[in-house]
Amino acid sequence: MNGAAPALRIDNLVKRYGDFTAVDDISFVVPEGQFFGLLGPNGAGKTTTINAIVGLAKITAGSISLFGHDVVRDWRAARPLVGLAPQEYNFDRYLNIRDVLIFQAGYYGLRGPAVAKRADLLLERFDLASKAKLVYTKLSGGMKRRLTLARALIHEPRLVILDEPTAGVDVELRLELWSMLRELNVNGTTIILTTHYLEEAEELCDRIGIIQDGRLVALETTQQLIGEGSLQDIFLELTRR
Amino acid sequence: MIVNGVGFQALVKREMVRTFSIINQVIWPPVIQTLLYVFIFGLGLGSRIKEVQGVSYAQFLIPGLIMLQLIDQTYSESSSSVFQGRFMNSIQELLIAPLSAIEIVLGYVVAGVVRAIFIALLITALGVVLVHAAPHEWLLYVVTIVLVAVLFSSLGIIFGLLAEKFDHIAVLTTFFITPLVFVGGVFTSMQLLPPLLQRVSLFNPMFYMIDSFRYSYTLTGDVPLGLSLGVVAALALGAFAVALRMTATGFKLRT
Repeated sequence: MNGAAPALRIDNLVKRYGDFTAVDDISFVVPEGQFFGLLGPNGAGKTTTINAIVGLAKITAGSISLFGHDVVRDWRAARPLVGLAPQEYNFDRYLNIRDVLIFQAGYYGLRGPAVAKRADLLLERFDLASKAKLVYTKLSGGMKRRLTLARALIHEPRLVILDEPTAGVDVELRLELWSMLRELNVNGTTIILTTHYLEEAEELCDRIGIIQDGRLVALETTQQLIGEGSLQDIFLELTRR
Repeated sequence: MIVNGVGFQALVKREMVRTFSIINQVIWPPVIQTLLYVFIFGLGLGSRIKEVQGVSYAQFLIPGLIMLQLIDQTYSESSSSVFQGRFMNSIQELLIAPLSAIEIVLGYVVAGVVRAIFIALLITALGVVLVHAAPHEWLLYVVTIVLVAVLFSSLGIIFGLLAEKFDHIAVLTTFFITPLVFVGGVFTSMQLLPPLLQRVSLFNPMFYMIDSFRYSYTLTGDVPLGLSLGVVAALALGAFAVALRMTATGFKLRT
């Protein structure tokens, strides 16, 4: 493991689907420990970029590395370093939620009492312990959202990617999730967040990248980006077609 | 070959959890259907048929019925599991984990083999109790089940990846598997067919599976055992290779 390597390094990433270019020559680096926001309008290329990082999308050109490990050539070392909390609820419907966590850990090569203990700890932390024996379809929207995060953390990744983690949740839960994410980041986990809620990015992120039509149109610290104005004004100015 | 052994085992275990959580779809139907076949064809109509391959018709029927159920269930389970994983996106749990294509494909296939052996043993027990039909060559019994389960689990993965809707999965079952199994020797020995149909049967892959499996019961077959096993092994290897290739290239899995 290369301790000096950034959490994420993307060099000239291109992703094409036939004639359509979803991601067009994007490069950026996320240092370890940063809370990074990846913003952009619908269809800008955020989820495609995330999918390329975690191996769900094949890279057309360029390269991505996680903590110095190339996600294509050195995927076996790279994948355990990242946890993904996708926007949609894609849990295994045949497993209760405790087993969702335990089996996910298993896919990462982890098992035994330590994993069971961590699963219980995460269920407790995300206020899901009383629902441990239920399948995810029996949970409320907010609980499913928290389970998404718990699953992303079960193998103790050093980088967590959250794709719209607060989409469709009420204000109370959103604030609760913000608090959880801040705590996670303070404890050393690098976080990459995509969101449509600009105040969320403003509140949580150290640094923000804005994607428009597959291209990176801004990459600044949150303070530099906002300057004297508001993130909403900057965002609308940069993403206006 | 398998580096992430724990991940591979987790996938096999997950598939078994799935099987037993839908036990009324996977385990009991083959048992009930076999019971019906044995009572209606074996003990009812079969009492009017003289010995086939040196055993009673009911005893002759049992290995064919085991193959019939095993083929159907093995294909259905792996194809629906893969397709459902794609449809619900839960297969992404595997795709983002440090699991190689061979670990994923083997996970589904080994689960298919375990499921097949379990179903086969249940029906075998029925055969012993109802018509005193028991295998004599246990090694051949196991080898044939494993090869057939590898073949149809792999085909299940292939069609689970190809399918765009659940209906597509049924195409192979409805138009190929079921008709070919039924005419492949489940209910009759090839030697009882007219010469033309005997020759046609040689082009039916199911015939070789049923014939080699029945050999473990009757110690005799319609074609040499080596030929039957060779055909089944070649088909299993081919289907496994295709399933592996599709998974490794991320066919309909990775965009």
